[in-house]
Amino acid sequence: MIKILHVEDDADIREIAQLSLELSGEFELVQCESGEKALEAVNSFTPDVLLLDMMMPGMTGRQTLELMRQIPALSETPAIFMTARAQHAEIEELRFAGAAHVISKPFDPVSLGSEIMEVLG
Amino acid sequence: MRKGRSLTSAGTSFAIGSIFSGVTYATLAQLLGGTGIVPVAGAIAVAGLAPLLLSARIFPARPSSVQFETAQRLVALDQHAMVNIVDKNNILTEVNQQFLDLTGYAREDVIGKPVAVLYDDNSKSLALDIRGHLARGETWQGETPLRHADGSMFYTQATIMPLYDEQGNWSGSISARTDVTHTNELVAQRDTAQTLHELRDDIWIVDARSEQLVYMNKAAKSRFGWRPEDIAGKFAKDIGEAAEGSMILEACRNLIEKGESFSSFEMTYLGLPFQISVKYLADRNRSGRFLVLLCDISEQVEQERRKSEFISTVSHELRSPLTAIKGSMGLLLSNAVGELPSKAHELLEIAHRNADRLVLIINDILDLEKISSGNMDFDSQAVDICALVRESNAANALIQNRFSLDVQTTGIGTPIILHTDPDRIIQVLNNFLSNACKFSKPSGRIEIAVADTDDHVRVSVKDEGAGIPIEDQQKVFARFADMANSDRSKKGGTGLGLSICKAIIDGLGGTIGFDTQEGIGTTFYFVLPKNAEETRAAPSGDGLAQVS
Repeated sequence: MIKILHVEDDADIREIAQLSLELSGEFELVQCESGEKALEAVNSFTPDVLLLDMMMPGMTGRQTLELMRQIPALSETPAIFMTARAQHAEIEELRFAGAAHVISKPFDPVSLGSEIMEVLG
Repeated sequence: MRKGRSLTSAGTSFAIGSIFSGVTYATLAQLLGGTGIVPVAGAIAVAGLAPLLLSARIFPARPSSVQFETAQRLVALDQHAMVNIVDKNNILTEVNQQFLDLTGYAREDVIGKPVAVLYDDNSKSLALDIRGHLARGETWQGETPLRHADGSMFYTQATIMPLYDEQGNWSGSISARTDVTHTNELVAQRDTAQTLHELRDDIWIVDARSEQLVYMNKAAKSRFGWRPEDIAGKFAKDIGEAAEGSMILEACRNLIEKGESFSSFEMTYLGLPFQISVKYLADRNRSGRFLVLLCDISEQVEQERRKSEFISTVSHELRSPLTAIKGSMGLLLSNAVGELPSKAHELLEIAHRNADRLVLIINDILDLEKISSGNMDFDSQAVDICALVRESNAANALIQNRFSLDVQTTGIGTPIILHTDPDRIIQVLNNFLSNACKFSKPSGRIEIAVADTDDHVRVSVKDEGAGIPIEDQQKVFARFADMANSDRSKKGGTGLGLSICKAIIDGLGGTIGFDTQEGIGTTFYFVLPKNAEETRAAPSGDGLAQVS
């Protein structure tokens, strides 16, 4: 089972992602509604991949990743950003910030799992 | 400014004075020994002096001195003003030398002619207005444009007064006019200078040869904290050095070097965004001057930024609920949570398709905003255009199948590599293809062709639709194209797609166009250079079609 930490402030989108990923049976999912809560969650959960929403109240996805990178266990964990601002310049910026992949919103829930698998190789 | 003023309040004595003036006029002319040219200006003066003259009749003890003094006044006025008399039918009966000098006519050209020869067509209503005043016994005063014998116009300040015969009947009028053309020009020049001086925008005038500052308006001086006298002896380079304005001076010099007379550009100057306009004013007798207009556009730039931010925020905020809507429907349609009844599946497909349309609309609006602000970015790389055509064709397979369309491709067998932005090319191809699908007849044929020349690649998508009516062809690449005459307006879409395609292809250094024939079909195409660097998409208005 691949362990995913999904950080997303929109409850509906969290639910869709959960349905989509759990149905495949290949993922174990922990979801948080903010970067702050995600940083607490990683004390007891070490994900294989980070799935981070970019625009969130409080800490952004990028800020959340910066702080997670300071945790030795997460310094190399692949990070996938989900963003509604998926223009070329923003994608480049996120890649520069350490994103392994960027999924633009609205995303296809049917192919979400396979996109994540592709990143993990 | 014309003004009609009634002088009837002077009462009966004034009217009598008018009658008297006609009589006295001749007498005084004899008194002054006038021969051919009668000093008719005197008539006006006599009319104005009516009470005096009446008193002269009433008190005949000093007739000669009054008459002599009046006569001198007449000469003075005759020297000063152009005067003419017309009869009741507006026929010129007398004019003075000033009249002839100012109008350029010979006496025989005007005597016996209607006074209308002096008015141009635009002044006919003014002539009627004056006549109305005279008919009511009123004196008219105001400005009258008159036509010179050579056709040019000049302006006079006029006093036109009715004349009466001995029985007290209206017999015509007498006009005394002063040429105010030059005065008007001076006033206009003064007003212009005043306006320039008070203008919010900065104005510099610079001598083209010495580059010495000739003039700066109030706004320009205050920007440098200068007093009015401070520009004396200053050169344009002083501004350049003081405030990084050397680019402006360079633009001035470039005008002469390139033989141009005007240029305009935006730049940051003194920390503010400015629209700079530079004009070379040639002068035959001097070296010419540069007129530099600096318009502070901080407010517009800020408004644009806010608008841009608003559009961007709203568009992105719309994506979150759309993600939930599309995601839910996607999961349901994939039977991830169980099989749906076929009717429910069908309805959900409709909803899903329309959610897709909403996403496209939002993308279009975001793209449009990027085009407007000149921020459309490109990620160019070496790509095989044929692979992009195949990818786009595959992405549109669903809609092609739905309408049972026959899609043929030609020229995509051998890879054609060019340096371009693959995502943006796919966006253009998708637009061409989805349009072709929408406008094709069911079971119609669509041809996608790639043609490779030495320097360019041409990609075209041909449909067998209704074609674009001639009256709509110029609007095809305009934003929100309203093509009421074609069935294109019934096919949905934002009306932005093709304008975005044009901005993309322009930005990639290519050209876009179409060939169409009503009832036969339409071919949309773009041509890209194989080795061109993309040009940044400039902000544009409604991009007009480059129609082939």
